[in-house]
Amino acid sequence: MGQPAGPAAREGTRIAFPEVAVTLRVNGASTHLALDTRVTLLDALREHLALTGTKKGCDQGACGACTVLVDGRRVLSCLMLAVTCEGREVVTIEGLSEDLAVRPLQEAFVRHDALQCGYCTPGQIVSAVALLAEGRAESDEDVREFMSGNICRCGAYPNIVAAIRDVASGSTDALV
Amino acid sequence: MTVVERGNLVGVAVDRVDGPLKAAGAARYPSDFMPDDLAHAVLVQSTIAAGRIRRIETGPARAAPGVLTVITHENTPRLGRGPDPVFAPPPPLQDDRILHHGQHIAVVVAETPEEATAAARLVEVDYERTEPLLDLDDPRAEQVHDPGARDLSRGNARRALASAQVLIDVTYSTAAETNNPMGLFTTVATWDGDALTVHDSTQWPVFVRATLAAAFGVPQDGIRVLAPFVGGAFGSGLRVWPHVVLAALAARQVDRPVKLVLNRAQMFTSVGYRPPTVQRLRIGATHTGELVALEHEGVEPVAMEDDYAESLTTASALLYACPDVSARLRQVRLNVACPTWMRGPGEGPGVHALECALDELADRIGVDPLDLRLRNYSEVNPQTGKPWTTNALRECYERGAERFGWSRRNPEPRSTRDGRMLVGYGMASAFYHYVQNPCQVRATLFGDGSAYVRSAATDIGTGTYTVMTQVAAEVLGLPVDRVRFDLGDTEMPPATRQGGSGLTAALGSAVHNACRELVRSVLDLVRDDAHSALRGCGPDDVSVDDGRIIRTDDPSRGETFAEILARRGLAELTADGSSERREDLDGEPGVFSAKFAEVHVDPDLGVVRVVRVVAAVDGARILNEKTATSQIIGGTVGGIGMALLERTESDPGTGRIANATFGDYLVPVCADVPHVDVVFVGERDAANPIGVKGIAEIAIVGVAPAIANAVFHATGRRIRSLPITLEKLL
Repeated sequence: MGQPAGPAAREGTRIAFPEVAVTLRVNGASTHLALDTRVTLLDALREHLALTGTKKGCDQGACGACTVLVDGRRVLSCLMLAVTCEGREVVTIEGLSEDLAVRPLQEAFVRHDALQCGYCTPGQIVSAVALLAEGRAESDEDVREFMSGNICRCGAYPNIVAAIRDVASGSTDALV
Repeated sequence: MTVVERGNLVGVAVDRVDGPLKAAGAARYPSDFMPDDLAHAVLVQSTIAAGRIRRIETGPARAAPGVLTVITHENTPRLGRGPDPVFAPPPPLQDDRILHHGQHIAVVVAETPEEATAAARLVEVDYERTEPLLDLDDPRAEQVHDPGARDLSRGNARRALASAQVLIDVTYSTAAETNNPMGLFTTVATWDGDALTVHDSTQWPVFVRATLAAAFGVPQDGIRVLAPFVGGAFGSGLRVWPHVVLAALAARQVDRPVKLVLNRAQMFTSVGYRPPTVQRLRIGATHTGELVALEHEGVEPVAMEDDYAESLTTASALLYACPDVSARLRQVRLNVACPTWMRGPGEGPGVHALECALDELADRIGVDPLDLRLRNYSEVNPQTGKPWTTNALRECYERGAERFGWSRRNPEPRSTRDGRMLVGYGMASAFYHYVQNPCQVRATLFGDGSAYVRSAATDIGTGTYTVMTQVAAEVLGLPVDRVRFDLGDTEMPPATRQGGSGLTAALGSAVHNACRELVRSVLDLVRDDAHSALRGCGPDDVSVDDGRIIRTDDPSRGETFAEILARRGLAELTADGSSERREDLDGEPGVFSAKFAEVHVDPDLGVVRVVRVVAAVDGARILNEKTATSQIIGGTVGGIGMALLERTESDPGTGRIANATFGDYLVPVCADVPHVDVVFVGERDAANPIGVKGIAEIAIVGVAPAIANAVFHATGRRIRSLPITLEKLL
């Protein structure tokens, strides 16, 4: 793995595009970066902080694979410029995976086989965490509706619904 | 050797072994690899469909911040083509000609993705345009008859049709669909002299290796291709597409590791798609529904200078007893990107047309659609007269109909309502002809009694990691958690492609054989060992359970793997196994299914909702109920997309794909998918030692026609073009 580094860290490179110093607070840790202003939050996470659990599925805000939590709300990180995240609290799948309260949801995804290729799974789980916290997992219909921003091309949807409902019918307090 | 049989038909529903890694976001896909000193490549694509590049101006792009190089046909060396043209397209950037919209014409390499993307927009192209051929009916277009030599005929269909009591003559069309796996296809290439390491989104790592060796004229054994996780593919990863070669070329030119990630729009133009089809069905039958003749003619586009073949019409010759049949495919060479396999290639759209046409026949003569299928049931392959290795299609019908409640169906279309919604029931048969290709596997037993088994296959989400772990554990008599199966690295023994529903049978057989060989090797260690209870035992004299080899003649006597290895001072013991393509079978391998769907149609708005689906599948032995059920559910979701949503739209004047985003190309989302009831029927298949058939394609085949037939039943409207969008019902 390469060490994360902004363009300024490389020698011999002409820098003509504005770079901005930004402090990203991700999963409870702050990192100072000098970023090309065009860098999205998604690319900052993946390419600059090596947090590759968040996936790029479309880069158009249409698939949900890049879902992360910003200040507790689910957002599409491909549609957010990283420099706008100064001072905000970003949580990714890596951060959630360290949270014991999220483990039952991850276990439910595995138990219900709510994933196949697994590429959309981090986004599904981040969305599901927020969904449960918002109290929007009270019925199968609710889950199907509110999880429809996360495309799963392998078609694991019925199992995703089952996994989330399984957790919702247990202790939702444990989440977030 | 007696293998301990744990499973009956349906194996243990073991949780996916890679599930926890994926649920934690810790599985590493090709785009997640970032070698030190990485540069980024972005493609520039043609904005015309036919002509040539008169001039390509790269100066402004080269001068842009961070740009390392710009590669065009003017500075690309001769590149070799991979060893099999079916899987290796012509190499890119070899001349100035444009053959389709979206063809790669340049690669910009820069320090960052943002810089490469910005600079790619600065490449200026002066085209000499010619009029593109874009229409299937264009009389100027070259026709390709019987691509891949898959046409089938028997008797004289034309003559038999002329004298049939009942004639159905209908034309169905299906839309182009784009595979659109969630993972953006990525190649990360790193050279070290003539040695090359590549992370790639592929379904066939060893063929990527072979193609890159041919492209650059370097030895294969210096190339390593890695694909431990692939973010889906559905057929689009079977070929080594030009961008893979271009990523390696870029890395060679800048002498640094290079990452190339296709964007979503490029996923529509660069890695194939399901071709649109037009299919004419002529079915001759008696008044009571016995088929007397069937003619199925399909037409679809293919690329100007690249080839693709699929079994679009062949299932029409194989599903039913019918004396006179003609099943043909014709392709038309157009200025389009090359189509490719997409889950259920050929049979997906072909069986759709057949099964809808049969539904029309059933309606015409007043016979229940399921009865019609049963009246024409064939116990054997009707084309060859040979039996199938196994065929439980009849059981699929029976169990599926029972679970679905087919007998409650009122035969009158538009007769059933739920509130204001029109209710429709539809069904369809499904068939897929799968193949097993050679695989090699290496299995190692360690001193602690655990095992490590590997092969250079892939798991694109099907569950290969999991079911191969189970097969190895079964043969070695070990708990699943004592076995590790690994894949996705060409340093491992070569495996065939993960496609055509063939990998589980092929690779599973090789895993089985390697593990059997490993047990034999352990027995060889103690053949003359006076201290061993297993002295003199051959593989047929023992069974294995929980890491212990036991004499069948005296189950109280045995030894553990660990004890034997320890006594011989061995830290590990390795054996190899392989599987071959089977040509010597008593029957022919085919996979069968029956699909039943209920839809609700809004009579005012034309909105179709699939309410439930029952899929009865003869997949022979099912290794893992959980992952196999997921496969069938996933294929059903693909079938819902095919039936109601998915359509890649090309602009008729320019050949540009007009809806290359997930906002415009609709795929099923969570709210589109109902409960899917999956039931597995049948028996172990004799085609391979583990008794399986492949189920990836059969999962989608038959879903769209079951839905389309249900829409007819609900509305009385026969929509003969896919997808069935609401404007067609209004």
